[in-house]
Amino acid sequence: MHIIDCYAYSNKIRAVDPAQKAGLAVTVLLLCLLLNRPLVSLLAVVWMWGLAVWQAGLPPLVFGRVLLAELFFLLLATVAVALSVSTIAPTNPEAWLLQIGPLWLSSTPAALYNAVNLVLRALGAASAMNFLALTTPLVDLVELMRRLRLSPILIDLMTVMYRFIFVLLDSLNRMVAAQESRLGYSSYRRGMASAGLLGSQLFIDTYRRSQRLQTALDARGYTGGDLRVLPTTYYTSRPLLAVSAVAILSLLALRLVL
Amino acid sequence: MSALLEFDDVYYRYPGQDHYALEGLSVAFPEGENIALIGRNGAGKSTLFLHCNGLYQPNSGQVRFAGHPLKYDRPSLKSLRQHIGIVFQNADDQLFSASVAQDISFGPYNLGLSETEVRRQVHMAAELCGVVDMLERPTHALSGGEKARVALAGVLAMDPDLLISDELMANLDPWGRRRIFDIFHQLRRRGKTIVLATHDLNVVRRWSTYVVVMDGGRAAFAGTPDQLLADEATLEQTGLAQVWFDEV
Repeated sequence: MHIIDCYAYSNKIRAVDPAQKAGLAVTVLLLCLLLNRPLVSLLAVVWMWGLAVWQAGLPPLVFGRVLLAELFFLLLATVAVALSVSTIAPTNPEAWLLQIGPLWLSSTPAALYNAVNLVLRALGAASAMNFLALTTPLVDLVELMRRLRLSPILIDLMTVMYRFIFVLLDSLNRMVAAQESRLGYSSYRRGMASAGLLGSQLFIDTYRRSQRLQTALDARGYTGGDLRVLPTTYYTSRPLLAVSAVAILSLLALRLVL
Repeated sequence: MSALLEFDDVYYRYPGQDHYALEGLSVAFPEGENIALIGRNGAGKSTLFLHCNGLYQPNSGQVRFAGHPLKYDRPSLKSLRQHIGIVFQNADDQLFSASVAQDISFGPYNLGLSETEVRRQVHMAAELCGVVDMLERPTHALSGGEKARVALAGVLAMDPDLLISDELMANLDPWGRRRIFDIFHQLRRRGKTIVLATHDLNVVRRWSTYVVVMDGGRAAFAGTPDQLLADEATLEQTGLAQVWFDEV
């Protein structure tokens, strides 16, 4: 079972209404994007991380690890904002310069500020989504979408796709193991051939599986239409509601002070 | 001993194949028995099952449930599928929902029950199959044995009179099988009829009260295990003689 999924199912606020958790996460995300101040974004990260640990009981490092993975991609993407490369020497007097062969590497305080702001803004938004992902399993999010009157066909598709990610992953692992044990990946050429076979086999496997699923659904009296299942019961957490309000107000207050 | 489900000279050929999977199958499944269905791979066991609740329709011949020929319109099929539940060999093919409770609730909802009744049925089936403590767990985090019991609960939540199980236990360890048989014993006490396809001759000897032997798309034998053991001609003809008495 995947680690994010695992915590989503076992955290302390699992049974809290997904609307409440999604409401907090989306509000914080929007504040990060709209207020657009590095310190506000930083405070958002602190709040989301803190709530995940304090309210949901997640190990601090788990949240950190997920955030670190995202930070890595963010840094890669913002290098281009912070640095510029050209073949002629930049004339901006504020620029820091570094000459490597015929290339000039340069940056300015403004570019650096932009890059840092961008990273923190994205990180704040990402931490809000991480909070949601780590405390709310997909089943609950699907339930929330059902309540928001999203199209039933989309909801059914999401339900079945989410379920079959794991089933297919399982098939994939078994097929790869079977191929490897017969030296299917012993050389680059063999590896490419095996991967091709794997792809087509997985497609056939998926098709057969979908037919068997249809048969099994029919056997349980399915006559088309929505896949109806029990709604889950949730509760509203007053402490979380109070802390959420404080968090959101503090972000707004910080923006006013700055 | 009245027949709950009868096949009368049923022929069925899969589209695009030139031989019949069921070739003049005539057999009756008596009510209230533990019925074992045995036969080689490809003898037609799974095809037979898919005819039981109208998933497949015979090319010719007739299937009767409680004396009435099956009808294949939607309302008839719906009521038929309430009476006859099928658990499939691979639980992963059946469990579509990411939550155990939701998956079990699927069948009862299809019966048109209210939410209160659905909850009651889900709880009843979960209790019977020993999966109450798994109801809030995600389906993909279950072990093979747990998945089999959840799949069984999903069918039993519809409270069928006849439970058909297609080699449900083929992939289970002895403890997992034991738990399934415990559930079957409870069903027996509630007067349910169970048909179990199996390759395990021990199951035939110890559990079943009635045996059907499939061979080449036909029923080669139907009767009690003792009658089967005494029927040397059938044992010889179906090849059971080679495997029954001297399993390695």
